[in-house]
Amino acid sequence: MNARDSIQDVLLGLVPIALLVALWQVLISFGYAPVTLLPPPGHVFARLMQQLLTSNFQEEIAATLFRLFAGFAIAVVLGVGIGLAAAASPPVNAVVRPIVRVLAPLPKVALYPALLLLLGFGHESKITLVAADALFPILLSTYYGASTVEQKLIWSAMAAGTPARQVLFKVVLPAAAPSILTGCRIGLVISCIVVFLAEMITSTDGLGHVLVTAARTFQAVDMFVPLITISLLGLILNGLLEALRSYLLRGFPEV
Amino acid sequence: MTAVRTVVARLAPLLACLGLLAVWQCASFALNNDSFPTALEAIRAIPAILGDKEALINILASLRRMAIGFGVAVTLSIPLGLLMGRSRAVASFFNPLLMVIYPVPKAALMPIIMLWLGVGDLAKMLVIFLGVSLPVIYHSFEGAKAVEEKMLWSGAAMGLSAAQRLIRIVLPAALPEILTGCRTGLVLALITMVTSEMIARQSGAGNILFNALDMGEYDIVFAMIIIIGAMGICLDAAFERMRKRLVRWSEPQFDIPLSFS
Repeated sequence: MNARDSIQDVLLGLVPIALLVALWQVLISFGYAPVTLLPPPGHVFARLMQQLLTSNFQEEIAATLFRLFAGFAIAVVLGVGIGLAAAASPPVNAVVRPIVRVLAPLPKVALYPALLLLLGFGHESKITLVAADALFPILLSTYYGASTVEQKLIWSAMAAGTPARQVLFKVVLPAAAPSILTGCRIGLVISCIVVFLAEMITSTDGLGHVLVTAARTFQAVDMFVPLITISLLGLILNGLLEALRSYLLRGFPEV
Repeated sequence: MTAVRTVVARLAPLLACLGLLAVWQCASFALNNDSFPTALEAIRAIPAILGDKEALINILASLRRMAIGFGVAVTLSIPLGLLMGRSRAVASFFNPLLMVIYPVPKAALMPIIMLWLGVGDLAKMLVIFLGVSLPVIYHSFEGAKAVEEKMLWSGAAMGLSAAQRLIRIVLPAALPEILTGCRTGLVLALITMVTSEMIARQSGAGNILFNALDMGEYDIVFAMIIIIGAMGICLDAAFERMRKRLVRWSEPQFDIPLSFS
C-alpha cells in the first residue's frame, strides 16, 4: 500500500461522515425535523467550540478524564497481573478461570447500584465500575497472549541462564505485548462508554451529567455537545494508544 | 482420575458462584451496613419479584425488546461486516464512521432518541440494535478479512459468482469469528437493555432495579442484580452451547466473551 492509496482511503472514509452531516442538515432545511428536536449541525459545532473554551466545561471534561484514567489504570494493572499469573501458574489458573467465567458475562452496569450503596456517590464508585468493565478484556487477552508464547523462546532463555522469575518479565511479557495492547484498546473504548454511563446515572459533574442536565431541560443542542466530546475523546485516546503501540512494538513483524 | 477431573471442571463455575456469594455474605457481615444486605436476604427477595405478575411481565418485555434488537442487528451487521472484509473500498468507506461511533455510549443516545421516538419500545430496541451492531460488524469484518485467498480462488475457478463465494466460502470460514462477535453482542444487548430502561423509566428489569434503589429497598436492588446477572450467565452459556455445535471443527479462540457496554 503506498501513500496515495492511503490518502484515497481516508478521503473515501470521510464520505459517509460528510453524508451523515449533510443528511442531518437536509432534514432540518426541508423542515422534516423541528429545530427544537434536532438542532442544525452548524449550530451544534459552534456550541461545541464555544463550550470547549469555557472553564466550566473544561472542568467537566477533566472530571470525566480523571475517572476514565483511574479506572483504566487499575484495570490494566490488575488485568495484566492476573492474566500473567494465571498463564504462568496452573493453581492460580484453576481458581481464576471459573471466577472469570462467571463474572465476565455479567452486565457490570447492573452492579452499579451496589457500588453506589457501598462506595458512595463520589469518584470511587465510578472508578470501580470502569475498572470492573475494562478489566476482563485486558485480563483475557493477556492470558491468551501469555499462554500462546512459543515454548522454544522460554526454553532458550532458560538455557541461556535466565532465572524462572525473570523469564516472565523478559520473555513472556514482551512476547504477549501485542495481545495485551489489543486488550487495552478494547478496554479503553469500554472505559469511555462506562464512565459516561456512570455519570449519567448519578453524578454532579462530568460529561454524562452535562447530557442528563440538558435532557431534563430539553436543550437539544447541549445534548449533542457531550456526545460529540466523548466521541472525540475516544478518537484521541485511541490515537495515543495506537502511537504507544507502534512505539512499543517497533521490533515486531507486521503490527 | 480423569472422570473426577471433568466433574470438577464442570462444577467449577458453580463453585465460583457459591464462592462469590460466600464472599458477599462475609463482607456484608463485616461491614454491617443497612444498605448492604447479606446474600441470603437478597436471595430470599428473589421469589417475591419473580412471583409478582407485573414484575414478571416487565422482565419478559425487556427480554423481548432485547431479542428483537439483537436479531435485527445480527441480520444486518453480518452481511455488512463480510462485505467490508472482502472489499477494501467498502471497508475504507465505513471504517472511519464506525470508529467515530464506537466510543459513544449507545445508551447515552437514549435521551435524544426518546425526543424523536418517545419512551416506547421502539427507542429502546433502536438503542440495543446500535449497541449490538458494532462488535458484530467488527468481528465479521476481521473474520472475512482472514479468509484464505486460495479458497476463494479455487471457488472462482470452479465457477462460483462473487455472491456465491461470499455465502458459500467466506461466511462459513468466518463463522467462528462472527459467532465470537455475536456472543459479545449478546452480553452487550443485555447491558444496553438495562441502561436504556434505567434512563427511560417506564418498564423493564432496569426500571425495577433503579426504582428500588431510589426507594431504598436494598434487598430488591441486590435481588435484581442477581436476576440480571443470572440472565447474563444463562444466555451466555446457552449461546456457547449453540456455538460449539455450529463450529465444532474450529478451536475457540476465546472461551469467554469480551464484554462491551
